[in-house]
Amino acid sequence: MVGMTTTAAPATTTPVVGFDQVTKTYGSVRAVDGLSLRLYPGETVALLGPNGAGKSTTLDLLLGLKQADGGTVSVFGTSPREAIVAGRVGAMLQSGGLMDEVTVAELVKLACSLHPKPYKADDVLARASLTQIADRKVNKLSGGQAQRVRFALATAGDSDLIVLDEPTTGMDVSARHAFWATMREQADQGRTVLFATHYLEEADAIADRVLVLHRGRLLADGTAAEIKAKAGARRVSFDLEGEIDEAGLRGLPFLTSVDVSGQTVRIQSSDADATVHALYGLGVYPRNLEVAGLGLEQAFVAITEAEEAKQS
Amino acid sequence: MSSLIKLELARALRNRKFLFFSVIYPSALFLLIAGNADSKTKIDGTGLTLPTYMMVSMASFGALTAVLMGNSERIAKERESGWVRQLRLTTLPGRGYVLAKTASAAVVSLPSIVIVFVVAAAVKDVRLDAWQWLALTGAIWAGSLVFAALGVAIGYLASGDAVRPITMITYFGMSMLGGLWMPTTTFPQWLQDIAKWLPTHAYAALGRAIEQSQAPQAQDIAILVVSFALFAGGAAWLYRKDTLKA
Repeated sequence: MVGMTTTAAPATTTPVVGFDQVTKTYGSVRAVDGLSLRLYPGETVALLGPNGAGKSTTLDLLLGLKQADGGTVSVFGTSPREAIVAGRVGAMLQSGGLMDEVTVAELVKLACSLHPKPYKADDVLARASLTQIADRKVNKLSGGQAQRVRFALATAGDSDLIVLDEPTTGMDVSARHAFWATMREQADQGRTVLFATHYLEEADAIADRVLVLHRGRLLADGTAAEIKAKAGARRVSFDLEGEIDEAGLRGLPFLTSVDVSGQTVRIQSSDADATVHALYGLGVYPRNLEVAGLGLEQAFVAITEAEEAKQS
Repeated sequence: MSSLIKLELARALRNRKFLFFSVIYPSALFLLIAGNADSKTKIDGTGLTLPTYMMVSMASFGALTAVLMGNSERIAKERESGWVRQLRLTTLPGRGYVLAKTASAAVVSLPSIVIVFVVAAAVKDVRLDAWQWLALTGAIWAGSLVFAALGVAIGYLASGDAVRPITMITYFGMSMLGGLWMPTTTFPQWLQDIAKWLPTHAYAALGRAIEQSQAPQAQDIAILVVSFALFAGGAAWLYRKDTLKA
């Protein structure tokens, strides 16, 4: 997190979610290790991390499904349970089982009746594209349809925070697009949306803030662009003739890595413009110069690898 | 919470297998056992005819089926599927889920009791005073809460795979040994000595005391109260453990 600017709102606003030095241990495994973070109203935040990074545990703690061993978790300045009872949180769990042998419409009506600020069940069904299958039994649904039912349960009322754990698992590409379109509407109405995902393109396209979690700790916190920058976000490659002055290349500014193979040089830079400018200053004549952005996925791999290297 | 009770109930009423076993089956079993018995001969040591005796047994058995089977298996399965977790993300209070399950089971158990009474009165000429019919219905219905609590405890104790055999063993063992299927007076003495401590035995004895216009035995009341405290306490403990684990 050092050296990163975040999109955080002024500190005077009560954070939607506040984690303060939160720790959760299972046996000898620290699933969440001294995690501190704040979410502010209106943010759409992606929680990104490899399997076992602690994403689900973090969401469970946030929703009060698990109790922290240390530190404090607050939601709208209260305990998670109080926030839920006040109807301020809607959540969709990854493995959220559903009541079977009832119809989709019956289940959605139940969710509406349990919400303090409910929407009309018909509207909830329509928004989750469930109207067509409203009379179908819940246990007869495909994976993607069941996922839409879970989404309907999470949006049965006017909640201020929506939490989604891997929401598009089991959806095909078009369903995923439709899902995020609906989700954006929710965010546009001023809601705070927090979602865990392993689809990096989702985090890149949807979130205005990305939290990278690794081994229960926060590795990076910023916009997708900032995360990419942190990893050395641009690749510069070019060919040089004659003998290559590797030491000179390593002296270029903003470098994160240099790789010379034959006459081809590949560089990763956090400020490609400045690096290329300095490259010409070395008095060389690069050919076939290419500057390309690093995907969030590569950035993510770079950040977690760097962390692994630091620890070993 | 009433919306969850309603939905649980709608689901129970839609489940034909469950309805058959809890509502129809006890009456059918009554006819099978008491069908050929005459309505005069008294069973040893009770002063009751076989149809009168079996009517209480089968009404108790029906209520037991509805509340025990209804609770245990569903809770274990829904715990495993994650539905219980999902419900914890709603305003429903923690105990609301268990209460809704028990309430809907209680609604199903009532007709299973009444149908046995109707069949016994219509087919086997069982005659009782009005207060006796009412007291019987009330006692058997209220007594079924003991087994509803047991069902909840099993639901929180067993995993989704193990819950059915555990429920079945408990259910058949308690029904048979408790004398719901045949008078325990037909058992060998050592088995009778065990049977009289079972809550199912005390449960049926409560109904028979009403049929005999007698005050219920203190020992039976005590057994039911202690069983209820044990089962409900166990269920509450297991529920809390499950919630922390989640």
